[in-house]
Amino acid sequence: MKVKDLMIPLQDYLRPENTLKEAVNLLRVSKKGEEKVGLKGLPVLDKEGKLVGMLSMTDILKAVHPSYMSLMNLSDFTWEGMVESLAKSVADKKVETVMTKDVITVKEDDPLMECVDLIIKNSIKRLPVVNKTGKVVGMIYERAVFYAIAKSLLDENTGGGE
Amino acid sequence: MTEEVKAATQVVMGAQFWIATAIFLLVYGLIVTEKIHKTILAIVGASTMIVLRIITQEDAFNSMELGVDWNVIFLLVSMMIIINIMKPTGVFEYIAIKSAKVAKGKPFMIMAIFSTVTAVVSAFLDNVTTVLLIAPVTMLICQALELDVVPFLITEALASNIGGTATLIGDPPNIMIASKAQLDFMAFVYHLTPVIIVVLIAYIISIKFIFGKKMHVRDELRQRIMAMNENDAIKDPVLLKKSLVVLAITITGFITHGMLHFEPATIALFGAGLLLLVSGTKEPHHILAEAEWATLFFFMGLFIIIGGVVKVGLIKWMSIKVLEITQGNLLGTSMIVLWFSAFASAFIDNIPYVATMNPLIIDMARQLWPNFSGVQLLHHPDLMPMWWSLALGACLGGNGTAIGASANVIVVGMAEKMGKPISFKKFMLYGMPLMIESVIICMGYVWLRYYILKI
Repeated sequence: MKVKDLMIPLQDYLRPENTLKEAVNLLRVSKKGEEKVGLKGLPVLDKEGKLVGMLSMTDILKAVHPSYMSLMNLSDFTWEGMVESLAKSVADKKVETVMTKDVITVKEDDPLMECVDLIIKNSIKRLPVVNKTGKVVGMIYERAVFYAIAKSLLDENTGGGE
Repeated sequence: MTEEVKAATQVVMGAQFWIATAIFLLVYGLIVTEKIHKTILAIVGASTMIVLRIITQEDAFNSMELGVDWNVIFLLVSMMIIINIMKPTGVFEYIAIKSAKVAKGKPFMIMAIFSTVTAVVSAFLDNVTTVLLIAPVTMLICQALELDVVPFLITEALASNIGGTATLIGDPPNIMIASKAQLDFMAFVYHLTPVIIVVLIAYIISIKFIFGKKMHVRDELRQRIMAMNENDAIKDPVLLKKSLVVLAITITGFITHGMLHFEPATIALFGAGLLLLVSGTKEPHHILAEAEWATLFFFMGLFIIIGGVVKVGLIKWMSIKVLEITQGNLLGTSMIVLWFSAFASAFIDNIPYVATMNPLIIDMARQLWPNFSGVQLLHHPDLMPMWWSLALGACLGGNGTAIGASANVIVVGMAEKMGKPISFKKFMLYGMPLMIESVIICMGYVWLRYYILKI
């Protein structure tokens, strides 16, 4: 099986200059193919359609996580309302300041194992799929890869071939 | 005097002299531009000195006068090991949260107590380590109280440089001076701690005037601080107890090392070894790898580069020039050393500065008192104020600018990450006057204690 057999064509994406407010709104209403509404991550494309980053739920969590918290063990000394007030303060931050900039991509014709390898080694949940010209054409999700594995695993007739 | 100076002026300025001087100037010049990392420059400069046969590898690695001062390296690395083991216990978080609660969440009280705690901790630990441990909690406390964190970060960086000046182990310049001048821990306590206490008190009063009136906090926000339980910070009480015992042994060792005729590095290495043993760690390589190797190699490289210019006579030539300017006036020389060191350290790294000044002062002493040698020369009563002036100037001078001391660089970096950049100008606006204030106090102290009271 190839990447393009499992990929969901690109529907929604963000721009680097979008605010986090806009980004969160889009994440909430985006569709994953025909599936239920709501996404955990979106690619970020610039004006020319070039992939410049990925914005995931974790990136939003990181945006409200103060830099000093990662320097010491301070989780016991936080207070109620801290996340809410910090969330308000980052609402107008630009996507480009929060997004993950080093994006790992796969090509349409890559074999599926490449996805498995990249997902495991980089502990990521989704991979943008690019075509020969480097344009993002779709997304491939950990869940889709799992379903493909599950299908082969349960189906006794499809040994190694297909 | 003039006869001796004449004889001593005969520094042979051959090819070796100029090659070594060129390497020295090139490395120091490039360190200032910050285009290439200073550690890389130090390693390249040092190895070039050896490759070009300015000094031998034997001298570079084994001579205390011309090569790496292992006393300094082992003292630094041992203290780094001790801190790296203690950090995960949560003791530093505990101290900071406790301090904020003692201050009852009142802004200026927090600033004053945090500055004092920073100064005291800095007297025993490296300044950068202290700031790295106290600044994150400060940012948390300021966020809880909805206060601007910048004044707190600046005052802590300045306090850490003040506190670090108080003891032999507080700041690298003191470690270097102690090793070269063969001064023990108690000598620093006896000669520097008193004036640093005065400087610190004056500093706290000054920041009260500068920042005290501007800060107000609503009562409900103070409740956030009072609701914190500092005991939650302690993650490993067993390791903490062990660490405190070993730390107590180590500090006792420092206090008595002069009497027991041990070098400070011996005490520190013993402490580090003991703590590694009792901590029961199975993976020492983690703790060892976390030592700041870039800093340590910077020191090693510098020592060899300085060894090169000492060997070819550049430092001797410089010391002759200094004596020509001061005409052998010792009080004048002390004051020049104090003020020059302060302003030099405000703009350049005080570690290469002190590495250069140490042999320069020794050469100066050799010319002033040619009949003395060894400890008699190093501890000549008229030379002692020079060492203290050098230590006070080089350590306190770091407060002048944002780049004057590593602790300043760290807090500026942290503030920027928080989205609250501190400009060079802004830091200097607070740092420079407070630095000058502290050096004026030291000037009065050196003059009064060593030239009037002579005690």
